[in-house]
Amino acid sequence: MTESTGGAPATPGVLEPWEVFRREKDGDPMRHGGSVMAPDATLALHYAREMFSRRQESVHLWVVRRGDIHDLADLDLLQPPLDRSFKKPGGYVMRDKLAAAREQSGQAKPKANKGTR
Amino acid sequence: MTDFAAFEPLAIDFTGAGDGRVRALALLLLTMADDEFVIGFSDSEWTGIGPILEEDVAISSLAQDELGHAQALYGLLTDTVADGRDADAWAYDRPPEGYLHARLLDHHRGDWAATIARRYLYDTADSARLEAVASSSHRPLAELVAKIRREERYHLMHVQTWIERLADAGGESRARLLAALEAMGPDAGTVLAPLPGEPSLLRHGIIAEPFATMEARWRDGVGATFRRLGLPDLPPTSDPAHARSGHSDAFRALHAELTMVRRSEVGATW
Repeated sequence: MTESTGGAPATPGVLEPWEVFRREKDGDPMRHGGSVMAPDATLALHYAREMFSRRQESVHLWVVRRGDIHDLADLDLLQPPLDRSFKKPGGYVMRDKLAAAREQSGQAKPKANKGTR
Repeated sequence: MTDFAAFEPLAIDFTGAGDGRVRALALLLLTMADDEFVIGFSDSEWTGIGPILEEDVAISSLAQDELGHAQALYGLLTDTVADGRDADAWAYDRPPEGYLHARLLDHHRGDWAATIARRYLYDTADSARLEAVASSSHRPLAELVAKIRREERYHLMHVQTWIERLADAGGESRARLLAALEAMGPDAGTVLAPLPGEPSLLRHGIIAEPFATMEARWRDGVGATFRRLGLPDLPPTSDPAHARSGHSDAFRALHAELTMVRRSEVGATW
């Protein structure tokens, strides 16, 4: 379960990929932006700054050595073998109940409700 | 100390410049602008051929920053001299001998180690100079320098990171760095060589301290870094009286290139 492909030790002076996370504006979560090649964290931050913030598109940056990311190796663990659809709300059809409730309260059907089912 | 006469090719008319304040200020602005312009243009030659893609973007961006500083400083000069020349005219319409950049920047950008060595020597010296004009009595300069220093802080971090890596790497990296420092060392101090208008600059509070004080502070800082990295001490400045004149063939070639488009259609609007 905890098997992973991460944690390989860094070799000084050798370029390797660093994943860059950035916050676009205050209050946003950190989101993955892309990656840079660098030999260490200092230069990775320099390059991340050039690639992901020189046009003021970030207010915060992180870099994470890709080798330090632990990757779930067995992707089959993410695919349940049995039907678990009862865990999802998709089975409940709300359209008719909503229409009835609207009629009762005298409200019009709202616009742009393509997602309603 | 160089005499104003050495800068004749500038053809600035200082008639009525009073006690020399305007003349001294113009010379300070022009030397700062030319330094930034020449190193910016020279380092921009790495665009497309940087050691790795990320560094290519980084050095190109730093070079653009320097050109931006030059543009702003030429703008202040335009306001000070007010002889009808705009920033572009100052940047592009002078003969090579009319440029007043320091001799350190007459060196060709060379290999990557030479570029880093030159950037390190220049940025650290420029930082000492910026500190001395940060509280300048010339308000537009003080305001501009406050902005420039925010960018230069990152430039210093970048070049410090690189010189440490080249020095610590040993082998060819260190050998090339040592060769570059040996070639440029005697010219490093030219950035802070006293200007002819220094007494006036001090009297009017345009600079906060003499160039010799800036240079001593700069040498202390560089000396500490070099000792830590096991690099030889910087030699004293050679021929400081000609710190900003008698430019090299490398600069003449650079000048021919950087003025090429401008000269191709005189008076054109781009």
